[in-house]
Parts: sequence; C-alpha cells; structure tokens
Amino acid sequence: MRLNRFGIRIAVSTLALAVSCGAQAVTDEDILNDANTPEDIVTYGMGTQGQRFSTLEDLNTDNIQYLQPAWAFSFGSEKMRGQESQPMIKDGVMYVTASYSRVYAIDARTGEEIWQYDARLPDGIMPCCDVVNRGVALYGDKVYFGTLDARLVALNKDTGKPEWIKKVADYQAGYAITAAPIIIKGKIITGVAGGEFGVVGKVEAYDAETGDLVWTRPTVEGHMGYVYEDGEKVENGISGGEAGRTWPGDMWKTGGAAPWLGGTYDQDTDSLFFGTSNPSPWNSHLRPGDNLFSSSRLAIDPDDGSIKWHFQTTPHDGWDYDGVNELISFNYEEDGKTVMAAATADRNGFFYVLNRENGDFIRGFPFVDKITWATGLDPETGRPIYAEGGRPGDPAGMDGSKGETVVAQPAFLGGKNWMPMAYSQKTGLFYVPSNEWSMDIWNEPVSYKRGGAFLGAGFTIKPANDDYIGVLRAMDPKTGEEVWRYENPAPLWGGVMTTAGDLVFTGTPEGYLKAFDAKTGEELYKFNTGSGVVGTPVTWQMDGQQFVSVASGWGGAVPLWGGEVAKVVKHFNQGGTVWTFKLPKDRVASQ
Amino acid sequence: MKALFRVIALMLLLQTGVAQEVDDGNALLNRPAERTYDIILESGYLKVGVYQNFPPYSYTVNGEPQGIDVELGKRIAKAMGVDFKVHWIVPDENLGDDLRNNVWKGHYLAKQRLADVMMRVPYDKQYAYMQDSTGEYMNEQVVLFGPYQQETWQIAYNPQKMDSVDTVAMFQYHPIGVEIDTLPDFYLSSGLNGRLREQVRHYANVEEAFGAMRDGEVSAVMGMRAEIDYQLANAKNSEFKHAGNGFPGINKQVWDVGMAIKHTHRQLGYALEDIVGKFVQSGELNELFSQFSLRYSVPQYYREFLSDEAIAQAEGRP
Repeated sequence: MRLNRFGIRIAVSTLALAVSCGAQAVTDEDILNDANTPEDIVTYGMGTQGQRFSTLEDLNTDNIQYLQPAWAFSFGSEKMRGQESQPMIKDGVMYVTASYSRVYAIDARTGEEIWQYDARLPDGIMPCCDVVNRGVALYGDKVYFGTLDARLVALNKDTGKPEWIKKVADYQAGYAITAAPIIIKGKIITGVAGGEFGVVGKVEAYDAETGDLVWTRPTVEGHMGYVYEDGEKVENGISGGEAGRTWPGDMWKTGGAAPWLGGTYDQDTDSLFFGTSNPSPWNSHLRPGDNLFSSSRLAIDPDDGSIKWHFQTTPHDGWDYDGVNELISFNYEEDGKTVMAAATADRNGFFYVLNRENGDFIRGFPFVDKITWATGLDPETGRPIYAEGGRPGDPAGMDGSKGETVVAQPAFLGGKNWMPMAYSQKTGLFYVPSNEWSMDIWNEPVSYKRGGAFLGAGFTIKPANDDYIGVLRAMDPKTGEEVWRYENPAPLWGGVMTTAGDLVFTGTPEGYLKAFDAKTGEELYKFNTGSGVVGTPVTWQMDGQQFVSVASGWGGAVPLWGGEVAKVVKHFNQGGTVWTFKLPKDRVASQ
Repeated sequence: MKALFRVIALMLLLQTGVAQEVDDGNALLNRPAERTYDIILESGYLKVGVYQNFPPYSYTVNGEPQGIDVELGKRIAKAMGVDFKVHWIVPDENLGDDLRNNVWKGHYLAKQRLADVMMRVPYDKQYAYMQDSTGEYMNEQVVLFGPYQQETWQIAYNPQKMDSVDTVAMFQYHPIGVEIDTLPDFYLSSGLNGRLREQVRHYANVEEAFGAMRDGEVSAVMGMRAEIDYQLANAKNSEFKHAGNGFPGINKQVWDVGMAIKHTHRQLGYALEDIVGKFVQSGELNELFSQFSLRYSVPQYYREFLSDEAIAQAEGRP
C-alpha cells in the first residue's frame, strides 16, 4: 500500500516536471495578444476585450459533425454543483477552476491531473449566490484565482503550491469573489461580490508578483480611492466627486454596486471595463436618486484606478437589474470610418452600443421579446424611459397588506445573466445567451429577519412562453436586428464562444454542448456531457489539431429559485467534469 | 501527496473548529444526523441553535456562549437531563433561509450541520401557514412552537440633544441610528413620506449605533426593545434614556418569539413546549430577563388563556 502510493507520487511529480520543462512564463505581451494566438488561452474572454472569438477555422460548418470527445476529467468529491468556469490553456496544460474554490492543472493532451488546490473555506461562510468560480488568471509562473471568502490566491503553476494569499475583503461582512481576475501590466485586478448586507463595491489592483495592493477604487459615489506608493496610502480622488449627489442621507455608505463579474480590458483606449451590481437596499423608494455607480459600466484607468467615464443602464434600479454584464470592445465601419465601440447586453433587457473612448451612447435596443418596466431608451442619452406602474410598490406604504402585484419582464435573473456573449469578427454579430421570463413582485404581509419583524418582498419567476425559456440570439449591433435565434426549453446559463470557422458554441442545462452555424443559426452538433452545462466553452490548437473544452456541472443561481421555473429544471442532475473534444486530423479540409 | 494534504487539511479543520460545537452529521453520506427525541436523550446532549453575535440574546464572552437565548437553552437542556451544546447561526437574508439552513435541510456548504432546536423564531400562525404562488406551504418542513417572549420596538435618546421623543416626527431634525437592513431602517427611511430619510444613519448593529450616540453622531437609536434595554443597562450609556413614543404605521408593533424544530421531530417539540411553558408561567423567564436588566413581556399566546393574576406572576408584577 505504502509502496504503491510512493510510486504514484513519483509518477505525478515526473509528469509535472516534464510539463514545466517546456513551459514558458506568461508575459504581458501574451495576455494582450491572446485573441490572436489560438495555441494558448491565457485570458478570461479569449482576449482581454472579451470577444470570445477564435481565429481557428480547421473546425468549421463542414466538418463539425466529426468533432469527438478526447478526454473527460472529473473534479471529484461530492462537490458536484455549479461549474461556471472557463478553462485556460498554456503549453499543453489546462488550468480550470471548479465550484467551492478549487483549482486544477490538467495535462491538456491526456486529461491526467497534474495538481489540485482546494481553498480551505472558513466555517459558517454564507456566500450569497451559490459556490461557483469562473476561472483563473495566468501570469509569469503563477496561477491566480479568487475564493468564496474573498481572497486572492497565487499558486505556483507547476506545483499548485500557494505563493501568496491576500484578503481582498471580509467575507463576514458579506463579500466573496467568484469571477476570474484580469492581469494587465503586471497587476492583478479583481472586483468583489456582495449580497444585500450593505456592502460597498470596489475594484482593486495588486502587484502580481508580490501581492501588494497597488490601488483601490470604490464603485459607489462618495468613497475615496487610493493608490499605494512605496507602502504609503495616497488619496486619489473621491468616486463621483463627492458624497450625496445621487443618494439620500448616508445611504452611499452602504450602497452596494459590487463589480462581481470581473472586467475586460481594451488596449486601444487603455481602459478596464467593469460592470456594477444593483444598489442596496432593494426597496428603491428608500433611496430616491440615480444611486451612482450602481447598475453601471465603468471605464477605469489600469494604472491608478481612476474612473474615466461611466454609463448607467438602470438608474434608480427597483427591479434588481444587476448591471454587471461584460462590456466587449469591438470596431465597426460606418460611413467609411472606424467606430471604436463597445457593447453590453444588460439584465434589464436592453443591448447597448457605446463609444468606448468616452462612454457616449451610440444606440440601444431590446434583445428580448418583451420589456415591461421601460417603454424605450432616450435616443440621445440611452437613459430608460420608465413605464408607468412598472416599479414595485413601497412595502412601507402597504400597512401590512399584500399590496399590488407588479409584473416585470425581464425577471430579476435578467434578459441575460452572468454568462458571457461572444462577438464574431467574421459575421459582425453578437451571440447573446438570453432568457425569456417575467417576475411577479409583491410586498410580503408577514416577514421576519433574525428574530425581528421585517418588511419583505415576495417574488416568483415565470417562463414567458410554454415551450422555452432560453434563447440564443445573433444580434446585429449596427441595426438591432435579431438575425437568428435558437430556443431552448431550460434557461440558458452558460457562456458562448464563436470561431472563424463560422461556428457558435454554447452549453445547455439539459447537458448538451451545442454548435450552431454562425450565419444561419442552424444546429450542427450536440453532445451530452451528462450534467447541465453552465460553463463557457473555449477552443485552441495543439499539435496541429483543434480542440474544444467546456466544464459541465449543473448549478448556479437558477436552481436556487423556486416557482414555475423550478418545474423545468428540478430534474437536472448535478455534476463536475471538464470535457475536451478534438477534430481528428484526417477530417481537416486540405488547404 | 494529495492524501497527505487531505490529512493535514483535516487536522487543521479539527483544531480551529469552535470548541463547543459538535459535528454529529454523517460524513460518508454528507448529511445531518436524524436526531429524534429518544436519540437526543440517548446522546446526552441538546444542540441549541442561536444567532451569532446578537446581544443580549446570544453572543460570546471569552469564547463562552452567553445571553438570554443561551441561558434559556441551558435551562431547557438541564430540565431534559442532557448537556447543552451550542449551534451558532449566521443569519441569512430572512427567517425562511435560517430555518432551511439550520433546522430542516442544512446549508449547502455545511450539509451535516443542523440544530436540534432553534431559538428566537417568531411565533406567528400567519407566517407558519404562508403559501407560495403555487399554493405550496412555505414552512411545512418546520414546526414553530413554544413562544417564550414578546418583543417590540424601542428608541433610546440622548437627553442632552433632545428634551424628549414625543413622536418620530422629531427625527426630521435629529439624526437617528439604526441597524442596516432592519425594519427600523425601512420604517424611518420611508416614514412621513421620506421626510426623516436624511437623518437616518446606518450601522452594522445596535451596539455600533450606541457608539455613534456616545460620539455625538446621532441623537437617538431605534432597535428591538431587548437590544435597547441591554445597551442602556451598560454604564457607558448611562446618560441615555428610553423614549416613550409610539410607532404609527408599523404593522408589527409586537410579536411573540419562540422556537422551531424539524416537522418530523414533534415529540421533541412537545417536551420543549412543556418545559418552556413552566418557565414562562412560573416567572423564571422574567427573572432571567431581570438578570440581564431587560424588561420581560409574556407572549400574546399566554394572554389568551391565562388570568390577569397569572400574567402578573409571570411578569414578576405584584
């Protein structure tokens, strides 16, 4: 027994050694150029702009039917839940996270484990929205990820041993990290997640080598940002200029606006783009005003954390339209000129195209079939035009009665939730994973919290249609036209990837990895992974072959909610596996 | 290598675990123990669920659990002839979450961990029989029973800043502290059409709000009566006073507080109900509250069938 184990140990470390010999450190150059180097994936988003577009075309609409599984890797243990990770690939090694703050290094050729790191989570930790993790960052000889107890962990890429661990925020105050960090110019940059406990969102940059804090930028108006110079904490301006401009009383002190989904980076404008969550408290009647910078997109200077511009999608949010969604940079031609644009599909149901140099609104349009809370967007500013009677009532004015039920569409889980969309440089279309559902909101006549009487809101989510909730859409950012759609019975909760081979990949809660024709939306391929897919697929090239990988394991926020939607999803089994596929060499068309 | 790592991780886990808590869940199946009345008696201990850091109800002093709910839990355990074991509850967004995480299902990060009985659960028939939008009973997995206290709202104020608090309208002009995301927060932030809103100051808990009152940041603090009484009994707050105002517009002026068990453990519930009922009626609970310098009110539940004399006895009045 003992001899056996010793033998295995030697085998494992030899493998690690063999892999690391050929491995190069990830550089700033590698990160900035990631979108153009299909032999590796060193950024969350397959490029810092987050387009999730691969230039590979070996695998295409003509041969996708020959895509076949190469290996599958189980995350192990009983923690089969919510695999929302995007794998990374560098020098034949896959780095992927799993739920409950776990990280794995896997031989990308064989699916054999090189190392595993399990963050030890404190007893009594209560993360707000499931136990997911969305991926690692790679830089130098380290692998980085954020944990449910709001720490950043730097691991040695060859051994999985921690090099440093930094506390970003206090989990007991309600903070967590679930997003993949981003690394720009040697700094590892992360946001924080937080529930309705009066948290204040912030984006922070740490020195990737040492883990020292470089700058911190609060995302709520009135809070001071800081830069750290030679260990000195230096004031770097109050977010939004001063406190109290768009918040009543002292509510800015606890305003929410957590940038929990991480950010993208655009080299052309040297800007980080982070989205921020809804304001707190949830009852909008308590906080008249726009409540900046909640439900916004922020352009942040990566050198010192200054806010360059902001665009607020849902001012004075009253529906929990958490505005964290990714802002994807892209260029397009109009009247012979190149427009430096960026696009985002918001929870509130509108798709926005912004000027990424200054945050100006270019155009916006619904990407879902129905929006009840607003009648449209102001064509000049992009500010929503609120629908009369569309805002949930004030529970304090109800005098203990249930009050009127307000129906709002989209539901608070959003026209699109966390799952990233993709942009094809070839078709010029965005591929948006979206859901068609509404919610009923009413004031709960009896409610208690920690032994005390409380004013609670009740709500339930309902599918908008009988036969489908999820819709994968191809949207034209120039016209707002829906070019094609694919309807899925269960809500879509996984990310999307597109390729120069005119393919669009995404997963479904029913367990399928699916591929569609990027031009027509025709379904060309499906493979059942055994559990719901809520991860984000990637593709890369290795040994002259094209590979596709996706994490499988049902979970995330959808199964946490009951009501009508639960009926659609409650029989889905949980899981925890990375599936990797390849196109056999003899199926690649001769060039 | 990994096996070794796991052993070390397990050792760390054991060392740092709260000394008082027991983990009797099934590690293999990763689920909590099914602890019925007989099994509790046989095991020799009762796991009492109380909220963490929640004075005067449940908190720690030098690592030892203390407070009204802890003391009551100890007396219940003693009456049953078993040891008291604490089960700390980290509050979630509402009572339904706390019941799910601690009484009937377990939290998804700690599936083996359940309390045998949870304290400080409001006793409210309307809540107990609430139905969701599809007609399902929302709290059918638990039994709410054994009310032991009546709770209400209270303001404390600084007489150097305000002569008295006749009505809450005073707080159009005087800053008042509240615990964030509580009914006092919502009540004052929306009351009088929002005219008090600018004066509401938010704190993590009532204790911090009292600290702000001592620093002169606020002139008053609103919270649950026991929380306010407990602070006022502290010598450092001796200059502050109870306010006598009412709270117009609050739907729940008073509510009963009791316990909760899993619905399959009713036999335990009957035993606990009997024990606690005796504490209430004999005046033992009133004495317990007095020891903490708190006022005690008999739950509405008892007022329906006890005589005035019996209520007076329970509340320690002549």
